[in-house]
Amino acid sequence: MRRLASAAVFLLPLIVLVLLWAIVVRAFDVNPRLFPDVMSVAGAGLESLLDGTLVQHVAASMWRVFVGTVLALIVAIPMGVAMGVSPGVSSFFTPIFRFFSVLAGIAWIPIATLWFGYGFGAIVFVIFNAVFFVVAYNTLLGVASIPMALRHAAASLGAGPWQMLTQVLLPGALPNIVTGVRTGLGFAWRGLIAAEMIATNVGLGYMLFVARDFYRTEVIVFGMIVIGTLWLLIDRLLLVPLERATMERWGMVRAA
Amino acid sequence: MNPALRLWNLRVWGPYMRATARWPVLRSIVPFLPLLALWWAVANAEIFPRAFFPGPSEVVSSFFTLMYKGILPEYLADSVTRLVVGAAAGVALGIPLGLLVGLSQRAHTALWPILLFFQAIGDIAWLPILLIWFGFGLTTMTFVIVYTVLFPIVLNTVLGVRSIPLDLHRAARSLGASRARVVWEVVLPGAMPNIITGLRNGLGYGWRALIAAEIIVGTSGIGFLMFDARRAGSVVEIMLGMIVLGVLWYIVDAWVLAPIERATGQRWGMVQRQ
Repeated sequence: MRRLASAAVFLLPLIVLVLLWAIVVRAFDVNPRLFPDVMSVAGAGLESLLDGTLVQHVAASMWRVFVGTVLALIVAIPMGVAMGVSPGVSSFFTPIFRFFSVLAGIAWIPIATLWFGYGFGAIVFVIFNAVFFVVAYNTLLGVASIPMALRHAAASLGAGPWQMLTQVLLPGALPNIVTGVRTGLGFAWRGLIAAEMIATNVGLGYMLFVARDFYRTEVIVFGMIVIGTLWLLIDRLLLVPLERATMERWGMVRAA
Repeated sequence: MNPALRLWNLRVWGPYMRATARWPVLRSIVPFLPLLALWWAVANAEIFPRAFFPGPSEVVSSFFTLMYKGILPEYLADSVTRLVVGAAAGVALGIPLGLLVGLSQRAHTALWPILLFFQAIGDIAWLPILLIWFGFGLTTMTFVIVYTVLFPIVLNTVLGVRSIPLDLHRAARSLGASRARVVWEVVLPGAMPNIITGLRNGLGYGWRALIAAEIIVGTSGIGFLMFDARRAGSVVEIMLGMIVLGVLWYIVDAWVLAPIERATGQRWGMVQRQ
């Protein structure tokens, strides 16, 4: 019951905003080529839902994000751990990964489209490198920040390399890894939308950009709402709980 | 220990560690040398066609050509100006809005969900409709950057303001401080570490949005340079653009933003000096 009430409190301002939108558009008689009214956006949404194009675009976008992210995590976490283990090596690699993680994402679009051609490969590459460099960099920092005393303690209690990895290094770096995943996915999501506008013929970004050519603002606004809702769902249902769980579990913040 | 490793430690690693201890700047330059060497070797071995994977020498010579023609400085100045103007506007709007939402429970209830939602839509998804509204021009780009920088600052300011213990407000009030003075001397300094973190994140997202906007809107700037080069199939200029961006942003992030963040963090006792 309390959850329901707090959800209502959360949704109320958004509902008010939609009402305001409906009233303003009606009252000022806004040209639909500039800004659509609520009903035509709902209509565009319903239409794309019924003819299956929405599902197609969303599925294409999510599949790209999924493939790129999973590939990136598989490579980045072991690599970050390996580099972070030795203090000398980690301080050597830190600037390189920092350089590439500030560059990660959108800046790779031009070269990705040239290397892989317009389409799936280029977009997955952009997502891959947005997640890869940020996660690898954060893993590296996380492992390097584990106090040496803890590792010596574990070693002197007889931990082998495998135990050291699974019981000291990975858990110790986990809060950083999760933060890296959240930041990296944030960059990847924006990179996805930008790359889809430039380099493909299916996906949410493409849906928006094609609608622009025909001045179909109702499709654009509907697409923006879908993008916002999807990201809010990914972030609030997946990333924030994950981050909070690891942070609390490792005593970085007190459980409220 | 194996002799090769010992020699490595004695002749290479040891001197490197001593040198970096003496000149910390080396720590952020030397690691790139092996990377450059690798790049040069791969390019020279022609594993990939040279046109798709040029070497460092081509990139350096195109750097000088574009510098000489004056294209690179001009585009760079355009991009940086856009970012600075956008960031300044974002800060000027973001901090007051964050204070309002952080301080007033009513404003928080009414605005927080809306802020979260608009933050989630993301800058780049606005581009198509902005192009309809404002056309291909400066207004579109400025809007995108201000929008991108604004939300991380607002959301972090709110977090910062709300993390200040209520006791501090009350103590300041009971010692006779006016409301304005509490905001100025308690709330703002207390939220400062979060505001700086927000600014850093916002700029990180902001310059990515700028690149995307310049690619799509495309009249000038580093993003435009790169995509124009892509149309012409010139990988050299794309790589040059990426390196310029990377170096620029590395310098801003590592030598300006991170120290500010660390300094406020230390000043307010969030982290301890090592």
